[in-house]
Amino acid sequence: MTSYALFLGCTIPARQSNYELSSRKALAKLGIELVDLANMTCCAPPPVQSIDLETSLAVAAYNICLAEEADLNLITLCSGCFESLSIANATLKADEQLKAKINRILSEAGKEFLGSKEVKHLLQVLVDDVGLERLKQRVSKPLSNLKVAAFYGCHVLRPSELLKFDDPERPSILENLIETLGAKSVEYRNKLKCCGGLLRGFSDDLALDLAREKLANTTKAGADCIATLCPFCFVALDLGQLQIKSKLNETFDMPVFHYSELLSLALGIDPKELALEAHKVKTDKIISKIS
Amino acid sequence: MDDVKVGVFLSDCGKQLSEILDFNALTDYVKSVSGVAMIGRSSEFWRGEGLQFIVDAIKGGKINRVVVAESLPKLSEVNIVQAVEKAGLNPYLVEVIDLKDHCAWPHRGTPSEATEKAKAMLLAAIERAKLLEPIEKLEFPALKSVLVIGGGIAGMQTAIDLADLGFEVHLVEKAPFLGGLAARAGRFFPTDDCAICIQSPASDVKTITHTSKKCVYRSGFSAIPNLNILANSKVVGVEGVPGNYKVTIEKKPRYVNELKCVRCDLCTTVCPVEVPDEYNAKLKTRKAIYMNIPNVHPPVYIIDESVCKFHDCAKCVEVCPTAAIELDQKSERSTMNVGGIIVATGFREFDSSIIKEYHYGDYPDVVTNLELARMIDGFGPTGGVIVRPSDRKPAKKVVFVQCVGSRDRRYNPYCSSICCMISLKHAALIKSAYPGTDVTICYIDIRTPGREHEDYYERAREMGIKFVKGRPTEILRDPETNRLIVDVEDALAKKFLEIDADLVVLAPAMVPAEGTKELAEILGIELDKDGFFKEYNAKLRPTETKLRGIYLCGGATFPKDAPTASLHAHSVAIKAAKFLITGKIIKDQRTAVVHEDYCGDCEFCPVTCPYGAISLEPTSEDHLVARISDLLCEGCGICVGTCPLNAIELRHSRPNQMLAQMKALMSVNGTSKPLVLVICCSECGHTAVDSSGMAMMQYPANVRVMKVPCTGILQVHQFLEAFKAGAQGVMVVGCKSDGCHYEVGSQKAEKKVELARILLKEYGIDPERLKMFNMVFIEGNKFAEAAQTMTERLEKLGSLQLMGGS
Amino acid sequence: MEHVIEEKATSLTFSDVVKGRLGGKTMTLCYQCGTCASSCPVAKITPRFNPREIIKLSLLGEKDEVISGDAIWLCCSCYNCQERCPQKVEIADVIYALRNIALKEGYIPNIYSEFASALLNDGRIVKVSRFVENKRPTIGLPPLQPTGVDALRKILSATGFDKLQQKKEGVS
Repeated sequence: MTSYALFLGCTIPARQSNYELSSRKALAKLGIELVDLANMTCCAPPPVQSIDLETSLAVAAYNICLAEEADLNLITLCSGCFESLSIANATLKADEQLKAKINRILSEAGKEFLGSKEVKHLLQVLVDDVGLERLKQRVSKPLSNLKVAAFYGCHVLRPSELLKFDDPERPSILENLIETLGAKSVEYRNKLKCCGGLLRGFSDDLALDLAREKLANTTKAGADCIATLCPFCFVALDLGQLQIKSKLNETFDMPVFHYSELLSLALGIDPKELALEAHKVKTDKIISKIS
Repeated sequence: MDDVKVGVFLSDCGKQLSEILDFNALTDYVKSVSGVAMIGRSSEFWRGEGLQFIVDAIKGGKINRVVVAESLPKLSEVNIVQAVEKAGLNPYLVEVIDLKDHCAWPHRGTPSEATEKAKAMLLAAIERAKLLEPIEKLEFPALKSVLVIGGGIAGMQTAIDLADLGFEVHLVEKAPFLGGLAARAGRFFPTDDCAICIQSPASDVKTITHTSKKCVYRSGFSAIPNLNILANSKVVGVEGVPGNYKVTIEKKPRYVNELKCVRCDLCTTVCPVEVPDEYNAKLKTRKAIYMNIPNVHPPVYIIDESVCKFHDCAKCVEVCPTAAIELDQKSERSTMNVGGIIVATGFREFDSSIIKEYHYGDYPDVVTNLELARMIDGFGPTGGVIVRPSDRKPAKKVVFVQCVGSRDRRYNPYCSSICCMISLKHAALIKSAYPGTDVTICYIDIRTPGREHEDYYERAREMGIKFVKGRPTEILRDPETNRLIVDVEDALAKKFLEIDADLVVLAPAMVPAEGTKELAEILGIELDKDGFFKEYNAKLRPTETKLRGIYLCGGATFPKDAPTASLHAHSVAIKAAKFLITGKIIKDQRTAVVHEDYCGDCEFCPVTCPYGAISLEPTSEDHLVARISDLLCEGCGICVGTCPLNAIELRHSRPNQMLAQMKALMSVNGTSKPLVLVICCSECGHTAVDSSGMAMMQYPANVRVMKVPCTGILQVHQFLEAFKAGAQGVMVVGCKSDGCHYEVGSQKAEKKVELARILLKEYGIDPERLKMFNMVFIEGNKFAEAAQTMTERLEKLGSLQLMGGS
Repeated sequence: MEHVIEEKATSLTFSDVVKGRLGGKTMTLCYQCGTCASSCPVAKITPRFNPREIIKLSLLGEKDEVISGDAIWLCCSCYNCQERCPQKVEIADVIYALRNIALKEGYIPNIYSEFASALLNDGRIVKVSRFVENKRPTIGLPPLQPTGVDALRKILSATGFDKLQQKKEGVS
């Protein structure tokens, strides 16, 4: 059995039990063990990087240290966590001088970053450890007739030199995973552009504008729903639709799913067990379409 | 050898020097030195009566070593040495020193100290002269034949020049037809005329006038009797030495006999295999048996072996009236001997599909400039009409994108230098043929240096071509209309544009031709950081490599426009001719020599030699010893500095000669200051000392200069010897690390100095007493400053006491 | 020797300051091709933000305009610009460096002070409410592990982060 230290981060436990729940259930079914380590903290994502880059590297490295001590690789569900931890991991592995500097800071907390572990996003674990073929065999309720718009968001793909998740210009992991579930992946314009999530709270109007464009393009392309892999993108596109409705008086009614939720459904997990009520845009029509 | 009889000749440079230096004291001093047979004093010794005096002394058998103190020795030495040689003495038994720039002028404020230093300088020259040995001049054969690799515009022109000069020339082209990039480019800027015309060869008796230019195919080029054209061939091996290389050529099968084919075209009519024509940007198809365009050279069909069905079809064989088609041809290897090799392999377009956001190779309506050139060419696949390849409809809106993969640190950091002009040329050609076309050029910076080049930019603006200052982030395609959208910011208008386009033309970086790396390995020459062939010196020896006999021509060194490639081609022809034209290579033996009895088995020197002059050869005792090729050795001494066993010496800078000089320079102080020995290379280092003197910059007379061929010759123990000889401080002055005349000598010396400083510290000697400097001629001020600073530092450090030393 | 002393006395330019910070080292490679701008989803919808202009202003030494304005806070950190920059300018990282400088000088948007205090207090930038935590077992989630807030505070104190989040008087 393959085991990973689960890095939950902040947004998922605070607001997206549905993402956590579907991921835990699907991975358990697929034979991936998740270990919950004590003393993890925030990953130090862009808001912390904005305040102080050195701090963010140290905080990310601290969390990687915990996984190193437990001799486990890390799995993240959130793209933000994936990015912060991967950037720190890759940067410090490559830069001895910076590593020494960060280790001086970490020594205050009794830690030392070694650079002995990998950080993986849920999707990479599905592709690398489970494999598309095996995954396909495990699908008991194929999502046939479902047209899904793959939405990567930014922080798994870029900066590609450090993250090495997929081809940043022509990624295919998510599309392949969607098609493995029996669904159809649909193309749409500006697919790889930002959801605006990180501008929420500083400039809501711009954030909604960016989300609106994604919703308009996916609707135009005839998608039934959007598949995301990041809690920020999920909020921007899901909750964003309510805000767009009230502020811009524009209705999309485009259900947004985490890929793990679609995966759970295809693996035959009862929708009732997935806390789908957390979705702001109702998911009923999709659930009925696939059952 | 006879007893050593040194003649010492002191020039006071028209009394300039005698106002500062006490010449009587100097003559008295020289008289006291053993081995001195004659002393002369005059106002000049490098010409006229003075020089005749030296010549007579030699002829009269009074002297057999010559020491001359003369100003501007780098000039005067040439005259003196030639005269000495004519007088019958080996010219390498002469030592010329500079009492003006190295002594009188920089120390004019302290004349008596300067006089003492002059004594030391004279003594050093005499001691060295006594130990000098005659150096022989060697003669090596040079074949009057040249291999030119690459049959583009540059290779063809240099081949004609050399053939006209009487050389036997072999022109090898990898592709089935000559012409290279030029042939595909259609037209050239700045003349806007055909790319495929050249100057006629001298052998073309009917058209030979100095103004004539001719299409390649009617220029008489292919009929030059001493020009052997080998298309569809490549160089697979080179061995031998400058003047006599043995080259192996592999000629791929053409399947059509060049001597029999009459170009009747029957074969292509019956050939059933049709494939997209790469040469013509896949805008048309061609048969498996084909020619690029009708007027190519050689004017013979070729069969594309990757698609031909050969004996399963053989329809062409049936129809060929001259039985020229030979389906069973095989690759053939042949060898030839040539005196020199010219690399003219050119460049090619960067593969734009690597930049995925531009969708080249993915969207058919995104093309490159070279592909567009085929459309502009009236003989091209569209007959001169600019079309959208996706549906062959005329393109009404054309957008050029500059710097695709060039000035791009992800791919090619350099500016390819010709792409702005190519796009301007193309934009104007489109606009003048089809004035209704909407043409936009997206650029980062428009670069048009060169005569008449700016006119193109001006004309383009006049014609209404739009310029957008911005590099597009992406080329999109509307899924419904299939039209292209260029997503770009115009920084000047501060506006985001989504330019609608029928056709997007990329201006890709120009990168080294395919196979450049392999060829460099075969020839043993270097590439620069961008992968182009590296010239010996960009400013002064732009067509030479560090290996004599191997030359570079045209775009092989960097992307070039046609005029520059032409210039390069004619220039390289002269360089190669100069080297080979007498049929022999004369080289003196100021080279390295190996003590075979204690050279053994290590492999340091062959690796270190920048010229590949050292090989390891087994001896009878079954161990390896270094062998030095006198032809390839440049006499830098880097191997001497490298050899851990002191088994290599330079014939003209032997350790005993250096030691004698060192001791002499340190034997007379005459100043109250600590003695400093400056060891400088004979290139930039020595000229920096010259220039400080010429400009009368002042530094103290305790600073004494010794010249070596290159600082790379120095060994760690020599620094210790200098201290032992009485130096309180040692300065090593070499060329800039990246400007060493022998490539790596300065770098080697830096390492040696570093190591010696560690040793000094171990011995309790302050490492600051030894320092390396890198200077060029114009940095005389730096030398004077450094000499001053070193002196002051040593004064602070106090006198150095070596155990048992002086 | 006088000129050497003079050189030392000259203070660093703004562009040197940015270059010297983590994230800022590639800024001076910029040759203003504008690929970043046309890659930027934010710049496309508002004139208030343009990465090319921010870098140009920084290179020109217009420090006050850069760090006191709201433009640097409008970057959505999508890294599109950085991915496509032909000079490999790490644009998003340069903007982080500029934000770091702005913060040091007391320009801190409210939401960032909130993130910072949450991090110091809870070890997370988004607090998990008691309600949500209690709900976990009811939907089948394991209890949350404690955060390493003590260790984190030591790290934040070592980098001086704990003192960064105070707004300068008079800065809006």
